[in-house]
Amino acid sequence: MERIRIDYNKCTGCRRCEIACSLSHVLDTINPRKARIRVMKEGDQFFPVIAGPFTDAACNSKGILVLGGMVYDQCALCRASCPTKPTIFREPDTDIPLKCDFCMLLDQPGPSCVKWCTFGALTLVEE
Amino acid sequence: MNGWTGKVLRVNLTEGSVAIQDLDLETVSLVMGGRGLGVKILCDEIDPKANALEAHNKLIFATGPLTGTGAIASALCSVTTKSPLTGGIACASVLGNFGAELKFSGFDAIIIEGKSKFPVYLSIMDDKVRLLPALHLWGRTTTYTEKLIKAEMGDLWKAREMCIVSIGPAGEKIANIASLVHEDFMAFGGSGLGAVMGTKNLKAVAVRGTKGVKVAHGNRFLLNTSHLLKRIEKDPLISEKVRNLGTTFLVETLHQMGFLPSKNFQAAVFNGIKNVDSQALARSILCGHRSCLACPMACLKTTETKKPPFDGKGTGLDYNTIAMLGPNLGIDHLLAIAKAYYLCVQLGIDPISVGAAIATATELYEKGILSELDAGQSFRFGKSENLIPLINLIGEGNGFGCILGTGAFRIAKDYEHMESFMGAKGRELPPYDPRGIQGMGLHFATSNSGAYHLDGFTVIDEVLGIHGEPHPLETEGKAWKVKLFQDLTAVLNAMGICPLSLMCIWIDDMVTMVNDVLETHYEVDDILKIGERIWNLERLFNIKAGFTGADDTLSERLLSEPIPDGPAKGSILHLDKLLPEYYRLRGWNEQGIPTEEKLKDLGL
Repeated sequence: MERIRIDYNKCTGCRRCEIACSLSHVLDTINPRKARIRVMKEGDQFFPVIAGPFTDAACNSKGILVLGGMVYDQCALCRASCPTKPTIFREPDTDIPLKCDFCMLLDQPGPSCVKWCTFGALTLVEE
Repeated sequence: MNGWTGKVLRVNLTEGSVAIQDLDLETVSLVMGGRGLGVKILCDEIDPKANALEAHNKLIFATGPLTGTGAIASALCSVTTKSPLTGGIACASVLGNFGAELKFSGFDAIIIEGKSKFPVYLSIMDDKVRLLPALHLWGRTTTYTEKLIKAEMGDLWKAREMCIVSIGPAGEKIANIASLVHEDFMAFGGSGLGAVMGTKNLKAVAVRGTKGVKVAHGNRFLLNTSHLLKRIEKDPLISEKVRNLGTTFLVETLHQMGFLPSKNFQAAVFNGIKNVDSQALARSILCGHRSCLACPMACLKTTETKKPPFDGKGTGLDYNTIAMLGPNLGIDHLLAIAKAYYLCVQLGIDPISVGAAIATATELYEKGILSELDAGQSFRFGKSENLIPLINLIGEGNGFGCILGTGAFRIAKDYEHMESFMGAKGRELPPYDPRGIQGMGLHFATSNSGAYHLDGFTVIDEVLGIHGEPHPLETEGKAWKVKLFQDLTAVLNAMGICPLSLMCIWIDDMVTMVNDVLETHYEVDDILKIGERIWNLERLFNIKAGFTGADDTLSERLLSEPIPDGPAKGSILHLDKLLPEYYRLRGWNEQGIPTEEKLKDLGL
């Protein structure tokens, strides 16, 4: 099965994948908020995250912190379009959850984000 | 509307009011957008003679039609205003993600006018535009300001998507050389703009948006850009040099050619070059690469220094910073240079200007004109321990830092030794020796925003030799080349593309991209004409502000003294030969004023 492999160390945060994704799903509009891949920044490192389904198992690593009577969840950069992240991987107009559908860049095979990633952070691998 | 959102935000800080206007499509067809739009609005709305640091001055953030569309290096948001440094027009480029985010929030441009009574910051969250109090941000460093504003957002995920442009303490203290900072790196060419924002009591502009930008031919645009990307990937200059080292490889390239200024342009040979060149950088402190939105070049380098007292981390250490804070001050200590750069970013000071200001002060001190009593300390070329305390002083606005903060031109003027100032129209010269690179020399002399390299970066042709063998010392055809680069850069800025992209794309690529997005039928000549129109508009603004053809010159030393040593020893700038030809090509009269017929031809 083909999968998208992410090499965080090669990502420079140009967000070209977000643009390619949004453009190949809505052909006349560029809107990274509608993209099924998002580049997150933590410190000086960029993390491309591809939208996936929300499962309980994904939340296993989540920790709860109570500071001064307030409850904080340490929800990190996961790929789920879940209710905790109200703005990530959700269509901004309709609030419908988004998920990577392994789109094609026009007639060329392969997901468009991989095609437009010039730094080799996203590659297609056979597993 | 293709490429545009069609709305312009007008913020009046005096009244605290916000108004939304329609984008003037007629203006856009004339000047494209971005820098062109900014200049047009300034020409129409402000008196060019007024003081730049008064409420009357306006600050215009303007995106171009390609900003945020994913076209090559389409991240640029122009910031146009009347500069306190030159008294003429100034146009900086905020890169990163700000311009695109502004587009996504539904606005093409922000016009900021008036002056707030107390510190505020502008928050644009889609249609919700607010002026919020910023007393708690006043005096904070730029990184901390961004963090605090993001914390106020409440929602962690929304805060992640926010883009913020802010000024540091130097801008608040109205230092002439203060600049704008976005996402931990400087705006290109922002010297002086921080002071304008500071006088308006505007600490920051924060944007987040969820709307999109329309593209006319999505299919064609995707395909054409894919082809272009493949071509850029194969380009050895981009894949081997720029992606790995950013622009810092220019340190050794220019030093080998003898065009790297040392000790305030008093020498061209620098003995410690091995300690500050790109190899040293790659060996010791380079730790990552970073791009602005949709940029295939990744010229921003993340560096980390671990050794106290120089420990720190930052993004965007480039050739200009290393050369101005290093060899131009005689300093060969890379860690000190890096630390000084991090401080500049935190305090919001333009590193080119600060390098020039300290170099001028040092020269004055070494010649015995500036006394230790005045300066409160001693200066020496090559003394790296001075650098960091001096930059801190400028940020605090204390003691001699207050004088340094006014810029090299005013220091030289105060001490009545203009020969120690290197620059044009009051703005400091970036580290490209104009006596060697003839085209750069002519550009510095004629540039509308003073000596600012990226407005006509002929180094791409004259040193890197992208279009054939480079001939920096020859004057043949240079006037034409400078005009071409100036017009091209003007229109690139107007489209919303970073001028450094000229290293990998050329006019025909620009025409394809803009036609795909806007559904227009521009030809190469139309694009160049738009660039020329913007250049002439800026020129007219400057003439009204009191500049004449006599200001198209450089500092005394650069015109009279040849390069003293090194491979380019003895070469001088042939400005007397280049300038008349340049005026003729531009269609200006001998005094450098655009003729009636030229203006009619351009439709001005």
